[in-house]
Amino acid sequence: MEGYVLALLALATLLPAFCAAICYVIKNRAVRNFVVVVNTLVLFFITWEFVRLLMGSNGSIRINEGSLPAHLGEVIKYLDVLLLGFIGYQGLKLKKPLIVALTLAQLVPVIFFEFFMGVHEPTAAFVIDYLSVVLILLISLVGPIIAIFAIGYMEEHEHHLHLAKTKQPAFFMVIIGFLGAMNALVMTNNLSWMYFFWEVTTLCSFLLIKHDENEISITNAVRALWMNLTGGVAFIAAIIIIYQVKGTLSVEDIAVAPVAGAFTGLFPIALGLLCIAGFTKSAQFPFQSWLLGAMVAPTPVSALLHSSTMVKAGVYLVVRIAPAFIGTILGDMVAIAGAFTFMAASAVAISQSNAKRVLAYSTIANLGLIICCAGIGNYVALAAAILLIVFHGVSKGLLFLCVGTIEQGIGSRNIEDMQGVMKIMPVTTIIMVIGMISMLLPPFGVLITKWLAIEAAVSMPLVLLLIVLGSACTVVFWSKWIGTVLTMSYKPKYAIENIPTSIKAALGILILAVFVVCVGIAPMYNALIDPQLKAFHLTDKIQLIGSQGGLWLTGGSNVAIGGFAVLAVFTIILALFIAIPYYLHKGKSADLRAPYLCGENIDSDLRGAEFMGPGEKPAGTLVRNYYLTGAFGEEKLTHVLNLIAGAIIMLMLGMVIR
Amino acid sequence: MIDNLIISLIAIVGAPIIGGLLFGIDRRITARLQNRFGPPILQPFYDFFKLLGKESIAVNQIQMMYVLSHLFFAIAALLMLVLRQDLLMLMFIFAFSTISLIIGAMSVRSPYSKIGAQREIMQMLAYEPVLLLMVFGVYKVTGSFMIQSILDYPMPLIYSLPLVFFAFLYVLTIKLRKSPFDFSTSHHGHQELIKGLTTEFSGTQLALIELTHWYDLMILLGLIALFFAQPLWVGILIALGAYFLEMVIDNICARVTWPWMIKATWLIGVGTALVNIIGLYLRP
Repeated sequence: MEGYVLALLALATLLPAFCAAICYVIKNRAVRNFVVVVNTLVLFFITWEFVRLLMGSNGSIRINEGSLPAHLGEVIKYLDVLLLGFIGYQGLKLKKPLIVALTLAQLVPVIFFEFFMGVHEPTAAFVIDYLSVVLILLISLVGPIIAIFAIGYMEEHEHHLHLAKTKQPAFFMVIIGFLGAMNALVMTNNLSWMYFFWEVTTLCSFLLIKHDENEISITNAVRALWMNLTGGVAFIAAIIIIYQVKGTLSVEDIAVAPVAGAFTGLFPIALGLLCIAGFTKSAQFPFQSWLLGAMVAPTPVSALLHSSTMVKAGVYLVVRIAPAFIGTILGDMVAIAGAFTFMAASAVAISQSNAKRVLAYSTIANLGLIICCAGIGNYVALAAAILLIVFHGVSKGLLFLCVGTIEQGIGSRNIEDMQGVMKIMPVTTIIMVIGMISMLLPPFGVLITKWLAIEAAVSMPLVLLLIVLGSACTVVFWSKWIGTVLTMSYKPKYAIENIPTSIKAALGILILAVFVVCVGIAPMYNALIDPQLKAFHLTDKIQLIGSQGGLWLTGGSNVAIGGFAVLAVFTIILALFIAIPYYLHKGKSADLRAPYLCGENIDSDLRGAEFMGPGEKPAGTLVRNYYLTGAFGEEKLTHVLNLIAGAIIMLMLGMVIR
Repeated sequence: MIDNLIISLIAIVGAPIIGGLLFGIDRRITARLQNRFGPPILQPFYDFFKLLGKESIAVNQIQMMYVLSHLFFAIAALLMLVLRQDLLMLMFIFAFSTISLIIGAMSVRSPYSKIGAQREIMQMLAYEPVLLLMVFGVYKVTGSFMIQSILDYPMPLIYSLPLVFFAFLYVLTIKLRKSPFDFSTSHHGHQELIKGLTTEFSGTQLALIELTHWYDLMILLGLIALFFAQPLWVGILIALGAYFLEMVIDNICARVTWPWMIKATWLIGVGTALVNIIGLYLRP
């Protein structure tokens, strides 16, 4: 049994690394595609096996240090130093003193801590519980699909760039290796190992953002690197403090509810530092600019960074250690910081016309909401946090892939240029619209979690106000965009666009996944999330139960105090959205007219794209969306918001120092 | 179960009838306020059936789909109300209904309907926080998000939530698209906006939008009645009174600009609701 788990574990982390190496060494496209597909299938299998094993276990799958190959700890130590050395070398090569300084700020403590302090490694090296499995599901299902998408996308991408020599081997190496590191990060129980994998993901994202090697991508990659290195410095500082105070590096033993009076001294500060590390990785205000800059990379990179990897590592860490600060002042401050980011990012997103930036701000906002929920820390809030990790990962992965596909189709990522894209790429557009609806409207998951978050935030009016205002802003930017994309004049027949098979497959699987997580919300909650919340030992009166295909909040006496029958609503909506178009199609066709243009229409033009302007000359009719740059403009708000967010984080640290 | 079915049926059939009548009375009273004689009270129904009989004209194939989902989600919200479900989810479903109409209006290349749609989005930006805060205030008092628990609560909510109620009345004007907030679709087709949001809908589509409007009215009045739910008939009377107030406001106000509306609503609506809620926290 243990051997089998060990094999799975090795497969989950080393197989991607191995496949990555093959991709790099054998520079043959067919081999590479084959490796990507095999890697995908094996990762699917591993995920399935982990779920199965976990269901059969008593709450977690544990692998003790003793059963691992000898000296693995030593190897990771040296790899750690090597990794930091490589990052420092990159800093030297690019002549960025900041990178070098931040690397040294980690390298010195790492060497001192790992080699001179005689650290006791925790007995349980890997503990795979429900939260880990949820993350593994996300990483190993969504991640490989994005890799498959990349097969078709990168071909087209490099075709546009006219490269002399393909850079795809390196690209796929990093993409796949990334998945391995993420898998390891969510499984390990050793904080210092987690730190190592954390830095691996930092490096991977740096390499991926830099991929196109032009001036702007290098600038943005460097920014991503130094911001995440700042988080790394906080992480290593936290590790050292925690080891001093607690004498252990076992995440399990750190993330336990504080005993009364024990939340003093240095330990809360260490937790605060870990949260800051999570904030940097999850691109919370004021660290959001690296994720926005990451948009310069090819689309699969954005999709990967935003959905299943990288940013999810940050929220994973915060949710993971949440039990240690629930109900403390630190928890309250984390909730406020997250809620503030949710509100701020949603507000700034209104002013954006670049589709990818809208998506990026929406990601930042949702991560903020996850962190906020972790900070609120009651039963319902943590359920919302974990559910949102899943729903957001799936939907956002899909949306990035759709925007990337549309960008390659119409040559622009500006929302205004997407008017009428329905005509050119009907299938992709419909998939994208469903993706956007899944971020905004019932019965899809993201809304359900927003609903849960609001119902959970009752204890904190400030947090609630921020969520409510942010929530109104999300309605604005999504509905604007959906409306623009669906703008269409009459067309008798739609031709299905021609897109590469790998892209089709990726979009198809992800849209299916969006539906599956929505329909299966109750079973998923009961099987994977509820047990995790039970394991967190939360003692709230208000509980969340999944039954009748929906989620229900129950008070002390098992009376529902809130709830939503997701499955029923989903069925009705789906039936309507299939029945209505069918019925409309069957019915007699309407008499088609051009839109009203004050009687100045041009006769032959049924679209209403032009009208008879002054001097009997045709003029174009063009209506742009409101972007409210006067109120929500990025340049205008960013500095102020960064200052406030910085102040909140300072306060967060300040308040735990007693 | 059977009870719920019967209640649902009554609501689905009864709501538009009462809603339509109220709109008829509205037009009559408005006419009298303006020194006109006004149409018969049943005029909205005459209009409705006449619109249904018109030849169907469309600008693109899928407009009708948005109109239908606008209608169905309003009905769904109404059902959640009469079946006493989660109030917060009701607000989200209700928002879905509005968003359907916005997307429908944006789906054609018409400048007027697009501008109307943009303005409607701005309205949502203004009133959505107030509606959510209202739900929160209700939870703070009753300890539950279910509408059932409001009915079970021994005292009328208005005693605990007077300012939230005021904020809701304020928002009601925006939701009903009445002056001074009638800028997403104006009542008179000869202004700069033409008919805004509904410019490109005609015949059956327009009839269904009208029908949805009646449902909307009943949902909103139902929400008002919740504040006075003990006993329910007082709530209903107050709701009717509130609607009369809306008519008066409609007739004595000129249209404001939307930036002004957002500022005012966030300041007055969100502000008063928040003051009330903070008060609830401070209450021993």
